[in-house]
Amino acid sequence: MNGIPLTHILFVSTALFFIGMYGFFTRRNMITILMSVELILNSVNINFVAFNTYLYPQNLDGIFFTIFIVTIAASEAAVAIAIIINLYRSLHSVDVDETGELKF
Amino acid sequence: MGASSLIVLAIAGIVFSAGGMMIAKIFVKGTKNPQKGQAYESGIKSTGTTWSQFNVGYYLFALVFLVFDVELVFLYPWAVVVKSVGITALIEIIIFIFILFMGFLYAHKKGALKWI
Amino acid sequence: MILNDFFIFMKQELMLLFIIFLLLLIKVGKDRSNESLLYLINLLLLINVIAGFILPGEGSLFSDMFRTNPLIALEKNMLNIGTLIISMQSYSWLKSHKHLLEFYILMISTLLGMFYMISSGNLLMFYLGLELSSIPLAALVNFDLEKKASSEAAMKFILSSAFSSGLLLFGVSLIYGTTGSLAYAEITSHLSTDPLQIFAFVLFLAGFAFKISAVPFHFWTADVYEGAPVAITSYLSVISKGAVLFVFVSVLYTVFKPLADVWYGMLFVLSISTIIIGNLFAIRQDNFKRFLAFSSIAQVGFILVGISGSSSMGTAAVIYFVLIYIFSNLGAFGVVSIVSSLTGKERISDYKSFYKTNPFLSWILTIALFSLAGVPPAAGFFGKFFLLIAGAEKGNYLLISIAALNMIVSFYYYLRIVKSVFMEPNESPIESLTIPLISKVALYICLLGIVILGLWSVVYDYIFTLSPIF
Repeated sequence: MNGIPLTHILFVSTALFFIGMYGFFTRRNMITILMSVELILNSVNINFVAFNTYLYPQNLDGIFFTIFIVTIAASEAAVAIAIIINLYRSLHSVDVDETGELKF
Repeated sequence: MGASSLIVLAIAGIVFSAGGMMIAKIFVKGTKNPQKGQAYESGIKSTGTTWSQFNVGYYLFALVFLVFDVELVFLYPWAVVVKSVGITALIEIIIFIFILFMGFLYAHKKGALKWI
Repeated sequence: MILNDFFIFMKQELMLLFIIFLLLLIKVGKDRSNESLLYLINLLLLINVIAGFILPGEGSLFSDMFRTNPLIALEKNMLNIGTLIISMQSYSWLKSHKHLLEFYILMISTLLGMFYMISSGNLLMFYLGLELSSIPLAALVNFDLEKKASSEAAMKFILSSAFSSGLLLFGVSLIYGTTGSLAYAEITSHLSTDPLQIFAFVLFLAGFAFKISAVPFHFWTADVYEGAPVAITSYLSVISKGAVLFVFVSVLYTVFKPLADVWYGMLFVLSISTIIIGNLFAIRQDNFKRFLAFSSIAQVGFILVGISGSSSMGTAAVIYFVLIYIFSNLGAFGVVSIVSSLTGKERISDYKSFYKTNPFLSWILTIALFSLAGVPPAAGFFGKFFLLIAGAEKGNYLLISIAALNMIVSFYYYLRIVKSVFMEPNESPIESLTIPLISKVALYICLLGIVILGLWSVVYDYIFTLSPIF
């Protein structure tokens, strides 16, 4: 805990957040987009754990929030992958560019 | 935590992610040979393409496993405090397991646990 | 004693939990016919609505994580009524659906999530409620399993909702970092106009704007509304949006009160762009669901105008408007839902000379559209009127005039449909439909709601006395 200042950890989490955002907007593969969202959620996790241990070590709010984020991210991924599998059955592809059914 | 640190954070975030990709693009020399694209299967020469399709059954099992597996993370903090909280903690965890069990029964009823 | 409190305060949530488990048990047991199940479920939902009105308690549980008061209980009852109406309207669609029980289990789970979200007193509880209300909805959007458009819409919905909750969470984590707490009361006392906190708030607001589909974040709305089954589209546009709006109002007025100057400017931009874009795109739609999607975006813009006014007036106006919006939008969606499930037609041009064949349905549609547009005798007019008055409190007349001008624009596209229903000739109009009794009752409830809420001022007064003054 001594040695690594809080800002360094925030560097990592912010970088991870923007990498996730970049991936979400540029990737064309649905699974990869989902992975980008997971990156965003994990950057939030890092934030919570870091804030909790460095700034407010007297209670465990942040760490518990992290546990909930992890579980919810898992269920979100489960539903998303189920939907993507279902879409794959009619589309035979996981490329978002192929999804042209709904357009302006 | 002033305004300056926020800007530094944002810049560092962008530089870190963009810089990594740039460096990779500049320094990696694209040497191409056919061996590189092959899958390594214990030294045995692989047959067919590596991008083959998996049976969808794997995914279904993985999904069911994933959900039940991750929910168990709640048992760890529970196990730490169960002694001090007492009977309430026991009742709460029984409710929790009951909900999971209902989900399991549902999965069983739908035949998600059978290999197709 | 504590157990007693628990049962009184969480009464509505426990009711829903009971229904969910009952349905799960029925599902795990032997198969039953859809029709008897539908009657059972509608009866349960009706009991749920009635039970919700009994004994609204006031207090908090689990060290302030869950709180309730008569206003929150009223909001939950409104959502209950809306769910019951949707369930009754989609009778003819669900009668032959093979995943009937899953439909209800998922739908009631989302309702449960919304309830927890509305009564949350802590950001963790809020996040859990939000996710519980959005993840099962994605599965519901995919409920026409063999239709490609449905899965495509579900994919768009789950990805954008996951992304938006990611943004929201990053905001929450920064709020936690700067204030050191997740409880609403403590956050308020630690908030100032520190730049990092404003940044956190912007992310938080962006997440919210995604959920209520305010304009820079509205791209998913029309696609999802078009692809989803009609019952889910109406659920998305009324219940889920209403729940998020309730939370939005209470969070802005209480938790982020120290940032009032900051969010006033943001709401100004959001509301103007939402109204204008919603209206402009609604004009050129031909698919009825898509049209209602854009019209609901425009309605959200009006609600944002009301929110920007702050104080108890804003809260009361928003809740009153959402109540009217539930009845009028569900009236319109009810007609679309019945027509779509019986004939499969969803285009506006199919509705030409609809009046000749289905006078009852066209009257309901007309009155609902009048109410949505805000034509005076219908309730929608009073709803929008109160919203604009609440917005005018800050003296920002530019905002009010733009909103009023857009109301006139919206008359055009709502009345265009009424015109084509009554006047325009059509060689192959929709044939005369036999509506199931239960759906007819639901439509009558909507009609009554629209008429009574507009003429009987007691409702607004009641909401106003319940709303807290900040």
